[in-house]
Amino acid sequence: MEDYAEELRSPPVSLIALVGCSEHHHMLSTYLHSEQPPINTLALPDFSKISLLLSDSHRNNNKSSSPTTDPLSSSSSGILKKDWFLKHRTRVPAVVAALFSSDHISGDPAQWLQVCTDLENLKNEIRSKNIKLAVVGVQSSSSAEISEDRMIALRKRAEVDSKFLVIFNPYDDSQLQQSLSRLGTVFAELATTYYRDEGRRIKTRVEKKNFNSPELHVRYCFKVAVYAEFRRDWAEALRFYEDAYHTLREMVGTTNRLPAIQRLVEIKAVAEQLYFKISTLLLHGAKVVEAVTWFRQHYVSYRRLVGAPEATFLHWEWMSKQFLVFAELLETSSKAFPSNFNPLLGTGERPLTEWEFQPAYYYQLAAHYLKEKRKYLELAVSISETDGEIDNGAESVTPSIYVGQFARLLEQGDTYVMQPLSDEEYTSYAISEGKRYQDSFEIIVLLKKSYESYNSLKALRMASLCGFQMAREHFAMGDFNNAKQLLDGVASLYRQEGWVTLLWDVLGYLQDCSRKSGTVKEFIEYSLEMAALPISSDTEVHSFRSKDVGPAGPASLSQREIIHNEVFGLVSGDASRAIAENNDDLKITGDSPLRLEIDLVSPLRSALLATVAFHEQIIKPGVPALITLSLLSHLPLTVNIDQLQIQFNQSECNFTIINSERTESARMTNDQQGPRVESAPSLALVTNKWLRLTYAVMSEQSGKLECIYVAAKMGPHFTICCRAESPASMDELPLWKFEDRVETFPTRDPALAFSGQKASQVEEPDPQVDLILDSAGPALVGESFMVPVTVASKGHAIFSGELKINLVDVRGGGLFSPREAEPSSMENHHVELLGVIGLDEEDESQVWADKITKIQQSFGLVSVPKLGNAESWSCNLEIKWHRPKPVMLFVSLGYFTDSNELTSPKVHVHKSLQIEGKNAIQISHIFMLPFRQDPLLLSTIKPSSDAGEPASLPLNGSSLLIISAKNCSEVPLQLQSISVEDDDDNERQFTLQHSGDLLGSAQLMPGEEFRKVFTVVPELKASKLKLGTVSLRWKRNLETNNHPSTVGWILTKHELPEIIVEISPLVVNLESPPYAILGEPFKYQVKIRNHTQLLQEVKFSLADSQSFLLSGSHSDTIFILPKSEHILSYKIVPLTSGLQQLPRVTVTSQRYLAEFQPSLAASSIFVFPCEPHFKKSDNGDKRKESVMAE
Amino acid sequence: MIVCVAVVGHQNNPLYIQSFTEADDALKLHHIVHCSLDVVDERVNNPKKSGPMLNETFLGLLYPTENYKVYGYLTNTKVKFILVTTDLDVKDADVRNFFRRFHAAYVDAVSNPFHVPGKKITSRTFADRVSSIVKSFGLSSTV
Amino acid sequence: MGREVSESCIDSLLTEMVSTYCNRFYATKPELAARRIEAIGYQVGHQLSERYTMERPRFSDHLEAIKFICKDFWSEVFKKQIDNLKTNHRGTFVLQDNRFRWLARMSVDPPTENGGLPQDPSALAENEATQLMSMYLYFPCGIIRGALSNLGISCAVSADISSLPACSFVIRIKA
Repeated sequence: MEDYAEELRSPPVSLIALVGCSEHHHMLSTYLHSEQPPINTLALPDFSKISLLLSDSHRNNNKSSSPTTDPLSSSSSGILKKDWFLKHRTRVPAVVAALFSSDHISGDPAQWLQVCTDLENLKNEIRSKNIKLAVVGVQSSSSAEISEDRMIALRKRAEVDSKFLVIFNPYDDSQLQQSLSRLGTVFAELATTYYRDEGRRIKTRVEKKNFNSPELHVRYCFKVAVYAEFRRDWAEALRFYEDAYHTLREMVGTTNRLPAIQRLVEIKAVAEQLYFKISTLLLHGAKVVEAVTWFRQHYVSYRRLVGAPEATFLHWEWMSKQFLVFAELLETSSKAFPSNFNPLLGTGERPLTEWEFQPAYYYQLAAHYLKEKRKYLELAVSISETDGEIDNGAESVTPSIYVGQFARLLEQGDTYVMQPLSDEEYTSYAISEGKRYQDSFEIIVLLKKSYESYNSLKALRMASLCGFQMAREHFAMGDFNNAKQLLDGVASLYRQEGWVTLLWDVLGYLQDCSRKSGTVKEFIEYSLEMAALPISSDTEVHSFRSKDVGPAGPASLSQREIIHNEVFGLVSGDASRAIAENNDDLKITGDSPLRLEIDLVSPLRSALLATVAFHEQIIKPGVPALITLSLLSHLPLTVNIDQLQIQFNQSECNFTIINSERTESARMTNDQQGPRVESAPSLALVTNKWLRLTYAVMSEQSGKLECIYVAAKMGPHFTICCRAESPASMDELPLWKFEDRVETFPTRDPALAFSGQKASQVEEPDPQVDLILDSAGPALVGESFMVPVTVASKGHAIFSGELKINLVDVRGGGLFSPREAEPSSMENHHVELLGVIGLDEEDESQVWADKITKIQQSFGLVSVPKLGNAESWSCNLEIKWHRPKPVMLFVSLGYFTDSNELTSPKVHVHKSLQIEGKNAIQISHIFMLPFRQDPLLLSTIKPSSDAGEPASLPLNGSSLLIISAKNCSEVPLQLQSISVEDDDDNERQFTLQHSGDLLGSAQLMPGEEFRKVFTVVPELKASKLKLGTVSLRWKRNLETNNHPSTVGWILTKHELPEIIVEISPLVVNLESPPYAILGEPFKYQVKIRNHTQLLQEVKFSLADSQSFLLSGSHSDTIFILPKSEHILSYKIVPLTSGLQQLPRVTVTSQRYLAEFQPSLAASSIFVFPCEPHFKKSDNGDKRKESVMAE
Repeated sequence: MIVCVAVVGHQNNPLYIQSFTEADDALKLHHIVHCSLDVVDERVNNPKKSGPMLNETFLGLLYPTENYKVYGYLTNTKVKFILVTTDLDVKDADVRNFFRRFHAAYVDAVSNPFHVPGKKITSRTFADRVSSIVKSFGLSSTV
Repeated sequence: MGREVSESCIDSLLTEMVSTYCNRFYATKPELAARRIEAIGYQVGHQLSERYTMERPRFSDHLEAIKFICKDFWSEVFKKQIDNLKTNHRGTFVLQDNRFRWLARMSVDPPTENGGLPQDPSALAENEATQLMSMYLYFPCGIIRGALSNLGISCAVSADISSLPACSFVIRIKA
């Protein structure tokens, strides 16, 4: 578009000329130019210049037409004059504004005369051209006045309407603005009038058709349109441009004014200009659809006008230019498109498509036509060269004054004369012009624009095509770097989408690029990829005879085979196999061995694919495990592999398989390989057939064993290194996955193909160390329970190791899981790991004790000393139960058999043991009142039946507290002491007596119970009295059980409940002999004592008993004086022997409305059938105990 | 005259592509078919531009190249049919009719139990049927 | 097309396919058998959906495609529509067929250990029957998955027998 002159590219602007008073010209010009619409000004300092300007254009006209020797009239010697447009924009003003200073207007007669003369001359000059005149009186000072009659005279002289006579006052700001805008209006009006008149004048000619040549028609239409443009009448401009365009198109077949080639060139040049104006107008009016439709019609109607064969390139050049220009127009105006621009696409009356609104589309076609041009230009050049034509006189050919015409400029004396050309001359001129341009660069520039534009539109495929075409240009120019860069991008798209034929073509270029730039590795990579492309059938071959196939030739199986042979000829260094081609640069030697890597995304996967499947997911260390190694190649011919190296993450498992047919080449390098070398009868990789090899590997190291690489060596210096893949997770081969072929599994076993993995887990070696946990029965709450742990080696030496100890609640409550419990809060740890104690000699345990890394309440970490084979070591875990509960003890030993922790496997042994924790001793207590003495305790009489009611004891009465300790464990215990201790240091509110402080060492066998009697005398009335805590010291009886328990005494505490102390108003004592004898009467007394200061009325009744005869009052009401005692006395004869219930007395206090009875135990007596004979020793004691036991 | 027809899978991979020209421009036709996929994408991704033919299988003219017109058709299963013709004056109805018959042929081809979904169509029957559909293109609307 | 297929043939074919894969090919690997049966269903569904969507405009969203499966597709294959469609609007759809044709002729046959008590509705027999039945459902699950994946919706399909002739298919669309 930049080729076009400015006057074509921008809408025309009215032109006026300013004459006189040049000091104001600048201001006026600036103002007018900034008007909307703008007005351009020609500033002429004085009046003599105007004639110069106008006559200059005359002379130009005359001069340009003078050299025409065309026999026809000058009007038809061309269609459009090149400078006509420019002339009207820059040299022919629509209006001349004559500026006269007020001094001169109202000055002396000489000045006035001068004004009149100037005006007269001016009028004469412009009259013939219909240029409008405006007269401006410029005030020479702010106060200057112009007389009215001088003004009238001036107007008459100028023959202008009064409104075109303007007073201009540059000295007063407000008036300045006013007069400026007035001037602007006046000039605009006059200019419009001028252009309208001119347009109308020519339009009449068009309408009357008073001319004989279509050239004139075109020219007039063009002029009308331009005048309309000056007036900004776009619709009319468009109409006449279109009229001109259509007339012109019709001229193609009719006119015969010029020689054929030049005629066509001229018509196309004019058409181009007309079309350009039309597009510009449409696009400026945002009529995109119309513009695009117009453009389509434009190029369709001219596309076939190829013209004479020797000048065909001119046609394509022109076509290319049309597209380029439209692309640029579209690009510059597309910013102005509304964003919601939404044409209906692809259907209906206007089947426009997306790309036709994109500049990229036109750039691409411009490049396409430019390529055509280049093709035909080359043809034309070669013809002209073979003809031996000499470019004679081409340099003297210049563009003529008509658009699209050329002429020879001849020097005739002083003047130059334009002489028409013959077609031959013109053609040779055009060819020599054409040769000066580097079309390739231009094509690349166009394609690049298109490429970038398509990319930004996310039209990647279109962009790829452009990229490919660009790359071909680069390639043709020998710019392999740029070509390769582009082609790589294009190839990746084709690879991704599986367009094999396109990919083949692209790869062909890439292969040739790398061949020509001598990069062996790339050459081999591209060649292998091409050879492995899924082009199998020959059906496609015939359609690819195309002349525009790439350097790779047509895509076919045979071509693949050729490439295959070429590559393997190259890598084998076997020159005879290589294709006889000049590829000296491509060599693989020992100095630069070639190694290709194929990973999971490499396009070369179809050239060589390696999968490795372990037959087992878990393998044992030191035991051979089978792996199946499967190789697949889609290369068209069988490939023989010299050797295969299989590499694992554990490098000691690496091994090499040597093709025994190729031993001599393999041997050479096999020294540096890993220790293991296998040999296979043949390593031939047949097309699309899995080569399956099964070998055993053995790993000593536990953990993951993964196959990393399979490297295939082919030829002396060439290796392909394939990343191993798992059959289970193997991706399908790109490209080949679309082929209709039988899928085969990498392994024979389909299950292994579905699930096979390239990695396997190597188990730890079996431990050869015993971990023995020992525990003698249940642990007792409170003691430090010892659990001996023995580590006994039976085959492995332990170089270093550690024991992990974990205590876990069996019920899974996680009560002492370190995560849940605060390590500091003892409450949460019902079972606690206290420590670890070695059993070894003192000094060794000292050393070892330092190594204890960590002991927490439920977790411990202990290091194990170095042990030789068959040695053993043990320690004790000291665990304390705070509550009875079962606990799981987990002990795990992890050890290294070797000093090097990195290589030697760590072996683990796990053991667990459930240990019960039990209460050793159950402590209980009973309160008893003194024998046969029952105080009336009011609280017990009240009808409250709560079981948890604390016991009530009478104030100052001595009660008995019996504490019994039962051995609930399964081992004999030894008791040291039992005592009741104060909880706090308060003064005791009772006295506590007991029968001496044990016991030496009382043995308590399992299930046995030990009792101790305390006498309690509360000394203070209290509703709640704390009696303290029972402390019992005990231990396991070591004499009977050789248990590794702590020697110390264990203290078990039992808290006594609170008691209620109250005053008893009445106390009933029963008195009777310790025993009775059948038939012998005895005395039975019921003593009721009143402890109060009040008279107590007491009712009593005595129940009859069948076992006894009884004398005395059965029931009565008695009054007991304060602090005195009433005795009921009975004589009783027992009638039955044995333990008998005495007649029970019921006492009712009237005052307290309380009835009470002595307890059954208190009112029992044993009746002997006859007088017993007791040994007098210490029977009494025992008997007392036995009675109490009941 | 139809110069090329193609079936393109949902990964934009060619499933079937056949050109019917004596001229040696098969590669160019492959490029044209491939590039037309950009328009298909564009149409499918900006459905509002296609206005009333929202979600219709027939996509209409995809783009004109210098010498060809390219029409597209997108099935519900994201398979694209591309038609390249040299005719300048093509009736929409003819193209629709062509695509409908072509679709039927395609469905029959891929319903073959020995055809693996997603693979190229190599059926001889399909090829024959396609070429007869191509031959009868535009001959009469009664076909 | 007017071509017809004997319903009993289809039933027999289905039975035979399941028994061949479960008892002969992959007797020891039921999950492999299930995978193969599902794969057959996948291909069938894939191909059927190609045919049944031929004359209709493209689906604009997942729900439309699922509705197609429920109505037209199901009608073509089973001569009835899905009875109930539920969704959580987050990619899970439950298709309930109250009388699934391929289960309609199946009876809960208690295994031989329990023999002698036909129609025994004990939970054990129910359970085993469900397990056996699930093998037959891999095929329709595969069909649904194949059809949907051909429509561009990759998903996982599972089936659930609530009470015998009724069956519900759960489609979980992969994001």
